[in-house]
Amino acid sequence: MGSIDPVFALAAAITVGAGLLVVTQRNPIYSAISMLACFLGLAVIYLRLEAPFLAAIHVLVYTGAILVLFLFVIMLLNLKPDELGTEYPLKIRGLIGAMCAGLFALLALPLWQDQRVFPKDLPLASSEKGAFGSVERVGYALFNDYALPFELISVLIMVAVFGGVLLAKKKL
Amino acid sequence: MIVAHYLVLSAALFAIGAFGVLARRNLLIILMSVEVMLNGVNVALLAFARLYASTSGHVFVLMVMGVAAAEVSVGLAILIAVFRNRKTVDTGDLKSLQG
Repeated sequence: MGSIDPVFALAAAITVGAGLLVVTQRNPIYSAISMLACFLGLAVIYLRLEAPFLAAIHVLVYTGAILVLFLFVIMLLNLKPDELGTEYPLKIRGLIGAMCAGLFALLALPLWQDQRVFPKDLPLASSEKGAFGSVERVGYALFNDYALPFELISVLIMVAVFGGVLLAKKKL
Repeated sequence: MIVAHYLVLSAALFAIGAFGVLARRNLLIILMSVEVMLNGVNVALLAFARLYASTSGHVFVLMVMGVAAAEVSVGLAILIAVFRNRKTVDTGDLKSLQG
């Protein structure tokens, strides 16, 4: 194995640590704040993967929209400590934790054997403008090869907005 | 810059999210765990996009983000409706469909 990239190591440690806090905190507010750290660490990892546009979109969509939506709902529900519900007994949680550790080992052990290294320079086809992962390149792919899926996603989001309003409304 | 590091991180995030979905009973935290799982998949997609110098992976990640946003808005609306009717966010208390 080659040496580990220090920026990646730091960001990955923050991401995994915050991810563990998300699933183990009892109070949803602490989970939401841990999720913020998890997502910001992920944005750094996206930057390491030469995806600056997606890193920006990730911060906008996840921390700007999804996390704020979670915080709004947490504050709207205003749960008292006794309304948080009872968790499974420690034995069952430990069993599920062992199962998930097994899942991780099953996935990670074959992946760890992967010796491939990222190519140093990214070849540019003559028809494409802009650096890899830039707005130009992603936009070009999005509006040429993937125009139909893009339109379908917009329909999906519109339906989700209508559904969200319909479900959360007290009286129709 | 080894691909395996990023893929192992992706597997770790997926396993953490799976633990949250299976082991927790608070609906809010289950929804957050689903987000963590989706982000684990995004890391793998971006690592392969970087490996094969293909922009398609970036478009896929954008699609996953769109689906995640839609999923969260509907999920949280369902959560609000459930809490309004049943005064609980505990999945263990929501068993009216149980025979």
